[in-house]
Amino acid sequence: METRGRKDQSLAAALLARAHEPDEANRIFTEKIQQRPLFLRPSSPPPSNERAARRRAAEKKKEQRKKALKPKPLSATQRRKLGLYDVPRKDQKYALFEPLHNLWLGYIREILGSELYTGGEAAAAKLASADFHGAEVEIVRSGCVSRVGIKGIVIKDSKFAFEVVTRKNQLKLVPKEGTVFRLQVPGPPKGGDVPQELESAEADRPQSFVFDIHGEQFQHRSADRANKKFRAHFSKIL
Amino acid sequence: MLSFKTPAVYQASKCFVTYGIMGHLDPKQPPSKGKPWATLASQDFVHSVDLIVPAEAHDAVQEAIAKRPAPEFRRIVLSLREVLGGEFFTEYVKKGDIMMLSQGRIGIDNVYCLKNGVLTMFLDKEAYESAGLVGKPHGVKGKRGLKPRWVVEFDLKGDSMIHGKKGFDRLVYASKNALGAPVTWLFCNTSKTTLNPDPVQQYSTTSQNPTPQISADIDAIQPSFQSAIASIASGDKDDLETYSTEIYEWLSLIRLESPRVHAGDQIDPFLSRYQVPEGGTRAKVCKISWHGFISPSWCRQVLIDVVAAVPSKTWFSFSTTTFSKGIAGEVSECAFLRAPGPSNEYLMWEVKTHE
Repeated sequence: METRGRKDQSLAAALLARAHEPDEANRIFTEKIQQRPLFLRPSSPPPSNERAARRRAAEKKKEQRKKALKPKPLSATQRRKLGLYDVPRKDQKYALFEPLHNLWLGYIREILGSELYTGGEAAAAKLASADFHGAEVEIVRSGCVSRVGIKGIVIKDSKFAFEVVTRKNQLKLVPKEGTVFRLQVPGPPKGGDVPQELESAEADRPQSFVFDIHGEQFQHRSADRANKKFRAHFSKIL
Repeated sequence: MLSFKTPAVYQASKCFVTYGIMGHLDPKQPPSKGKPWATLASQDFVHSVDLIVPAEAHDAVQEAIAKRPAPEFRRIVLSLREVLGGEFFTEYVKKGDIMMLSQGRIGIDNVYCLKNGVLTMFLDKEAYESAGLVGKPHGVKGKRGLKPRWVVEFDLKGDSMIHGKKGFDRLVYASKNALGAPVTWLFCNTSKTTLNPDPVQQYSTTSQNPTPQISADIDAIQPSFQSAIASIASGDKDDLETYSTEIYEWLSLIRLESPRVHAGDQIDPFLSRYQVPEGGTRAKVCKISWHGFISPSWCRQVLIDVVAAVPSKTWFSFSTTTFSKGIAGEVSECAFLRAPGPSNEYLMWEVKTHE
């Protein structure tokens, strides 16, 4: 040990001698290496004075108050406990949501206007930002085959799923992942507000406007979707 | 411990050779267990049948064949929805005994087949996901990747398969939406009764009867089966392999009507080095073949008739080939040769594809 220590020391001295003048090297060697202080206790925080401590406490309180004022979404446990989104059994009736469905049909016809009859890119863009509460969807294709064939009115459009009431008064939660939904919008009923120029083309008006939603690309909250620009993506599941 | 794993990669078809002695056949109780009979019954849809007999037995065989003509088959165009509804469903699928095969190659297109009341659908990913029916994965395990394929099976003769029941209604929904396109099928009514207002007639049909095509009097050089069988019977494994391969090759050349087995064939050895096995004698051979959509139960019956008709001192060969599953040209086949002689010895070659 002793010899190794001395060898290392001579190494340190040699390195210092390369960088500094001999006097300097000597001084550095003695002060900073040989007589280096060994701390027995970790350096403690500086002793606090009361003023600093009070200042810190006041800042912390202010921050907490600011945080409490900011509105935060409910966590999943809180939601389940509060039961805010539960639909009671007596309200899970298809007939109850049919007027909502008619409202939605009117809303969609208003949004699309004449594009209801022509379809195309513009209609798709409008539909992408439309709201789908009250739409009647049918699951046409899904990675989980038991979901295919479910048909009902959307009562909740969350980020990852549609909650749907079927004709048999059953509430079904259908995940959007890997699923394709089909919606049909029939033309406005006769005697309703049909624009003048299209009355002549009544004979070749199609029965209804049918479109598919690919759930994979649609996994956003309905509120967030309003300003979202949708780009065409390659779908791995198709 | 002895379970064999499903192959992870493509494997070539294999040929299994069996040498045995046939028991006595009682025409009233057609045998169903045992080597040639069980193998024949296990084939699903037979495409062609070949019968090779020496010229002496030709007349006897003709009589036997004439008594049992092949059942007629039709080519019809209808959708799966029509198969599952109406008269066709109640008369043919539920009560009758039919077999149907739709057009397409199994690993590539959507193919449906119906046999013994079991509807099997081989679907690709899109059709399976749109149909909404529960199925099993189909295809080699490691190769399914991005485009997996699926098999869906339904036992249509079951009690739960009637309109109104949930499981059957899901099948009907699928046949209306995802699997609704009309498809060309091969249809064969294997039961003996024919219905009077035939529900099949309304679909555009072309009906055919697999008539036997006879090419008689092939002047060929025939190897001596007796010596071959004798050496096989002695129990040497190598002998079994060499002799059975030689005989199978000769029989296949006769089925192909190749000039290499004809007497007096002179071909430049640069083009073909085939030689009929040693000890060949000149003889006249007759080949009878059927092509069409044939049921394996009919094949079994024909084999029983032929065994009964042909005297035991002459040999004959009978082979059935099925429709290919997947790769075109890869078929499974069962070839049978009964050796001449008093003891009913036979050789059977069973070619199986890896699926």
